[in-house]
Amino acid sequence: MTKVVNILVASVGGQGGLTLSRVIAAAAVMAGYSVRTGETLGMAQRFGSVKSYVRIGVDTPVYSPVFEPGEADILVGMEVAEAYRNHHYLRPMGLAVLSTEEKPPISVSLGKAEPVTMKKLIEALESHGAEIIIINAPRLAREAGNPRAANMVLLGAMNAAKRILPDNAVEEAIRAILRGKRAETSIKAYYLGKEYTGKHKPSKEHWEDKAHASEQT
Amino acid sequence: MGNEAIARGVVEAGASVVTGYPGTPSSEVIETLQRLGQGLGIYVEWAVNERVAFEIAYGAAIAGARSMATMKAPGLNVAADPIVSAAYGGVDAGLVVLVADDPGPHTTQTEQDSRWFAHVAKLPMITPSSPQEAKDFTVKGFLLSEALSLPVFLRTTTRVNHAVGEVVTGEHSEPRWARGFRKQVERFVRAGMSWNLERHRWLNKQLARAELVAEELGLNRVEGSGELCVVTEGSAYNYVVEALGELGLGARVIKLGLLHPFPRSFVSRALTGCERVVVVEELDPYVETMVKKLVAEEERLRHLIVLGKDEGLLPLEGELGPGLVRAALAKAAGLEYEPVRRESPRAPPRPPPLCPGCPHRGTYLGILIGISRAGYRRDEVPVFGDIGCYALSVGEPLRAIWTEHSMGASISMAVGLKLAGFRNPVVATIGDSTFFHAGVQPLIEAVHKRVDILVVVLDNQVVAMTGHQATPAWPRTETGRETKPVRLEEVIRSIGVDNLVIVDPENVDEVADAVAKLLRTPGVNVVIARRPCALLDARLHGVRRRYRVVEEKCTGCNACIAATGCPALYRTPGGKVAIMEADCLGCGICTRFCPYNAIVPVEEETR
Repeated sequence: MTKVVNILVASVGGQGGLTLSRVIAAAAVMAGYSVRTGETLGMAQRFGSVKSYVRIGVDTPVYSPVFEPGEADILVGMEVAEAYRNHHYLRPMGLAVLSTEEKPPISVSLGKAEPVTMKKLIEALESHGAEIIIINAPRLAREAGNPRAANMVLLGAMNAAKRILPDNAVEEAIRAILRGKRAETSIKAYYLGKEYTGKHKPSKEHWEDKAHASEQT
Repeated sequence: MGNEAIARGVVEAGASVVTGYPGTPSSEVIETLQRLGQGLGIYVEWAVNERVAFEIAYGAAIAGARSMATMKAPGLNVAADPIVSAAYGGVDAGLVVLVADDPGPHTTQTEQDSRWFAHVAKLPMITPSSPQEAKDFTVKGFLLSEALSLPVFLRTTTRVNHAVGEVVTGEHSEPRWARGFRKQVERFVRAGMSWNLERHRWLNKQLARAELVAEELGLNRVEGSGELCVVTEGSAYNYVVEALGELGLGARVIKLGLLHPFPRSFVSRALTGCERVVVVEELDPYVETMVKKLVAEEERLRHLIVLGKDEGLLPLEGELGPGLVRAALAKAAGLEYEPVRRESPRAPPRPPPLCPGCPHRGTYLGILIGISRAGYRRDEVPVFGDIGCYALSVGEPLRAIWTEHSMGASISMAVGLKLAGFRNPVVATIGDSTFFHAGVQPLIEAVHKRVDILVVVLDNQVVAMTGHQATPAWPRTETGRETKPVRLEEVIRSIGVDNLVIVDPENVDEVADAVAKLLRTPGVNVVIARRPCALLDARLHGVRRRYRVVEEKCTGCNACIAATGCPALYRTPGGKVAIMEADCLGCGICTRFCPYNAIVPVEEETR
């Protein structure tokens, strides 16, 4: 069966969403797959909406760098409002890997728009039958010694659930793109995300019980 | 990434002079060469603007050095004058001009379709569809350029420049430097009208050979077979291939790598046996117009039905995507096709803001407060904007700039407004790099015509928006090249402005006082608001300090957010304000607007 895996990474500028898509792409190439990525970003260096598309052709070449709403097999939501903004990209029964992190847009801070809660996001995703993983990625990234590696925690969580990329390819990709100490802590963050997901099989219940509580500390 | 692949192509072709001006989505070509090409010893530096970049590349190419100039579409307009003349002079080594268009648009002021410019300049233009082709066509661009002795455009779009994909590399070759420059006035002096007429004839002869050379280089190809034919190019090709597969539709795909001159014989041959022709391309019906002309002119093709934008099959605006192309091909083939419709969620808008710690925030707050202090309402004093990060001041809550037009236009348009009899003061705001790029001449105009304007130069000492590239004020470039820094204030003073004040944007009241005073002072007055880009500064020197909100003191009045719009500030569920400490870059501007002194620096020990 020819299969292209479509991944949408929704993030806020500065969170490392583009780095995540680069790492996934590099790891996929190292694993011998065909890859395309595309990105949609605004003009801001920080705090804009960033959407990156990753397409992995396991045994078929990929041409288009982008895909349409309803065609993502996996939605990686690095931020709650951005995950919500893009939840319509997920196909029915797709996988959503969500970070608990929230960076409210200025429209919300100014009281001109309603905030998006995790509850609202979960309801939206459940309406198209999504499998949902919620993980406190910033906390695990800090545990790994790299507060900026929340993106790699989510990659670990995604790979624990779907096993798309071999670990050695991920390690090689992270080292090729990040280099130095940052690469090693990023790899640690990747494994923390992977183990956590494997061990806890986090669900929305788990998020409501524990992950959110730990966010307060 | 497509741009990294182009950089690789530059190395494989042995180019020795590569220059350009930063502009999304073209910037990563030079960045990649600067980062990874140090060992090659080639010249890879940013130029002050695109026309200078092209002229440098041209000066190298007429001496036998392979060279490249890179730019985004509006940059091509800046470089238009020398490019058009270069077609008459020709080159003695390959010269490739990368022009990156931005259908969407994602980060560009217009959806300019630069393909038409190849007609204006009468120069060959080629276009890749994938990262692999981005590399291959760069090399072929140099070969085409040398075969025709003409500069060649490598035209790309965002979905190729920024697409990441696997690329098979080739061998790299020794850089080709200047061999010597021979005096040939009929080629290089455009003051001779009979020479110009002669060179125009020469140019037409060279162009007539382009298709043949393109054939040898394998720039165009036909895939598949059938009576349904799809003519396509660039990123649209990718959507066509996948759409045909998904629809289970057999078709002949005619993929053009050469856009200008239009490969007439190739397309004519390829269309033999077709019944119905669909043209799939982004932006204007460029290829479609050419195909229709061909079909109208050739007896044996006249029965063909050509469908494209004229027939409403695809939109004239915005970028294409898999969905649009699927629907268009299905319709053209008479297939039933029901696209998956998913409604966009109603998420809170997130317009691009100024970064936390951005010095431009303080500058614009100072300008707005200064306007009040000078005795005017905000809507009485127009603030002209320019191209750069500071254009983001248009958003809530600053809503500062009234215009953002083209590089340097803030000053000239403000001059025009005053010359037209506008009585209130006007402010032109322009970044340091944009000032060097295209603001110097407008300031000369303002001084020379004795126009009363206030020019605020937002000097963050870097080309920030496109990813922190060097400006002429840098003492050393990205590649370590020692330079003579060009001082902004020395340039401005030498033009003869009446008053020049340098302020610190983090001191909002200092900015406001300077602005208020100069708005009431006749003449050409300049404020330089100087502070390094906060992001770059934090990357280089770490974050000086961070701020936090003392919860007990915060009343939730929201004054800090309402004034600054800093995205590191947010409202807590408890109705107070908090700061995302990891994102705070410590400008402290929010503290000025807190009536309760609730925002304080994070103590060392609690970090």
